[in-house]
Amino acid sequence: MSNQPIETNQQTLPQEEIAKGQEIASISLLKKRIRKFKTLKRGYYSFLIIVSMYVLSFFLMFLVNNRALIVKYNGNYYFPVFKYHAVEEFGQSGYGEARYRELKKQFAEEKKGNWVLMPPYPYGPIESLLEELEGTPPHPPSKEHWMGTDDRGRDVFARLAYGFRISISFAIILVLIEYSIGVSIGAMLGYYGGKIDLFGQRFIELWSAVPGLYTLIILTSIFRPNFAMLVIFIAIFGWMGITYYIRGEFYREKAKDYVSAAIAMGASDRKIIFRHILPNALTPVISFGPFAVVGGIGSLVALDYLGFGLPPPTPSWGQMAQVGLQNISKWWLVLFPLGALFVTLLLVVFIGEAIRNAFDPREYSRLR
Amino acid sequence: MSQMLLSVNDLHVHFPVFGGIFYRKLAEIKAVDGVSFEIRKGETLGLVGESGCGKSTVGRAIINVLRFIAPDVHLKGEIILHLEDQQKINLLNLDKKSMRPYRRKVQMVFQDPYSSLNPRLTIKQIIEEPLEIHNPDMSESERDDRVAWLLSKVGLRPEQARRYPHEFSGGQRQRIGVARSLATNPDLIIADEPVSALDVSIQAQVLNLLLELQEEFHLTYLFIAHDLSVVHHISNRIAVMYLGNIVEIGPSEIVFYDPKHPYTKALISAVPRPEPQRTRPKRQVLVGDVPTPLAKPSGCGFRTRCPIAKPECAKSVPQFVDKGDDHFVACPYV
Repeated sequence: MSNQPIETNQQTLPQEEIAKGQEIASISLLKKRIRKFKTLKRGYYSFLIIVSMYVLSFFLMFLVNNRALIVKYNGNYYFPVFKYHAVEEFGQSGYGEARYRELKKQFAEEKKGNWVLMPPYPYGPIESLLEELEGTPPHPPSKEHWMGTDDRGRDVFARLAYGFRISISFAIILVLIEYSIGVSIGAMLGYYGGKIDLFGQRFIELWSAVPGLYTLIILTSIFRPNFAMLVIFIAIFGWMGITYYIRGEFYREKAKDYVSAAIAMGASDRKIIFRHILPNALTPVISFGPFAVVGGIGSLVALDYLGFGLPPPTPSWGQMAQVGLQNISKWWLVLFPLGALFVTLLLVVFIGEAIRNAFDPREYSRLR
Repeated sequence: MSQMLLSVNDLHVHFPVFGGIFYRKLAEIKAVDGVSFEIRKGETLGLVGESGCGKSTVGRAIINVLRFIAPDVHLKGEIILHLEDQQKINLLNLDKKSMRPYRRKVQMVFQDPYSSLNPRLTIKQIIEEPLEIHNPDMSESERDDRVAWLLSKVGLRPEQARRYPHEFSGGQRQRIGVARSLATNPDLIIADEPVSALDVSIQAQVLNLLLELQEEFHLTYLFIAHDLSVVHHISNRIAVMYLGNIVEIGPSEIVFYDPKHPYTKALISAVPRPEPQRTRPKRQVLVGDVPTPLAKPSGCGFRTRCPIAKPECAKSVPQFVDKGDDHFVACPYV
């Protein structure tokens, strides 16, 4: 037997150093990356701008709307933002919904203590302003209508603002659905391997060969889709790309010893996939995510532009771009929708770029 | 003689190679090709051999992870775990579910301290995972205590449990790996080159830790390594592998100072000795390279490089010859 311990200098840290070591806050890899992301100013500020605009867009009904926020009429308070009121209720003539901007002027002239509080920008995205404005549409930008009106007399700024919310929501929901399908299938292929992987991959190759856009056009011309159906249709043809990355990540990660260790301790498949491998395999998802959002915005714009997207009169950027093309001499119908699209896509690309840099493993590979 | 803990009988691990238009099996990599050995309770068996000889694959076959990493792998033979009540379980045939109760008895310490710890989990999460699986009744605070106790056993401070693996050095990470493998009170620990990724000074610390823990918890080790002097230091018995077969197995001192098999002789003669005054055995240099396990030579795998090879060596795989004192050599001509 030769099992006598070898003499070694046992690590004895000076007391000071131990105390110092305890003070250093322990941070996870994710927190490190978030910190890095914050130092990449261009991407970080783009992120702040997009997020705050998107959050703001959920309060658009209080900011850009043709319905009044509050109406005081004959001693009673009404909140038309939330509830439909017909013309008769406030003593107007005609039919349909009450015309609040008219009502505001009327109450101000009457001076009977009735009043109307309109949103800061008192025009709606789908109301036609033909009766109020002189001349034929489209009207050029003016003090009241910052970006003019389109060919049907609808306010361009209001439509753009509402279209922003639709575009971003659409793209985010689309990416979430595409990635949850793609990540699950890619994870399954990579984790189980063997025949499942072989046949699964052939299926994905076949499915990728289906011309998505044309199939979509056929589907949408049959079904006349709403928002949810359109998201699902596009997602059905868009989940394949990410499976390749996730499959590859799973193949790489499952060969690492920490996975063997998890198997050796008897962890379940579910635990190995979700707790061990998936968090280490998400880098492509996170770094491709913003670019997929760009793609999602783009595909909605393309479909709307071709007239196979969301049904009219939904304020969509693609439809507005198409109106711009038809009225190419009216600069505000071309410049503002395309400019908004350009700026939005640019900001999202900046975010994506910064995330990619923040997740660049070269910087942290030493620390892994 | 103490009780038997694990016996491996005629273990084969073959990885098929697929290819061609119809994705047919073209060949087989015979990583492990008929390996048999036994480990007794409380001893350390050192398994040595050069890279690619299949020594790590033996370890991985024992913890039954190969089928998962390579679903097409072809496994044959027996890996028998001897339980306290004289029961014998063949681990090789068990599926995931029926394997689970025996997992806690056999644990592994891995070679690479960087890839063997999940970078997303804290040390506490890493060490308590086996406890969550095998002791589900344990309360949160009991688990915390156990994690702290395990950390102190491997020479780390319990406060470090909240940290992430990337905040530790290689030696500290290897200690964490040892703590994880100890969590379930295992009988057998397979140490797959646990020190070869570490600096020499840290190597000695980790080896001493393993020896201390063996004494305290009556552990049994299968110590896989390529460094003969490390294996000699830690093992009671040594098994030498070449190209998927064990060529010599016996007590540590005999194999190290009086090797019989020509491969072992060449291997031992290559070990650097730190005593320049002492006359060292004549250096025996082998010619050629290790043949690929895709196309193993017929009969004795070593015959293509063997200085004493005879035409008969190509005919059949040599059987172990008993040299006495528990020493066996897979060569009839020594």
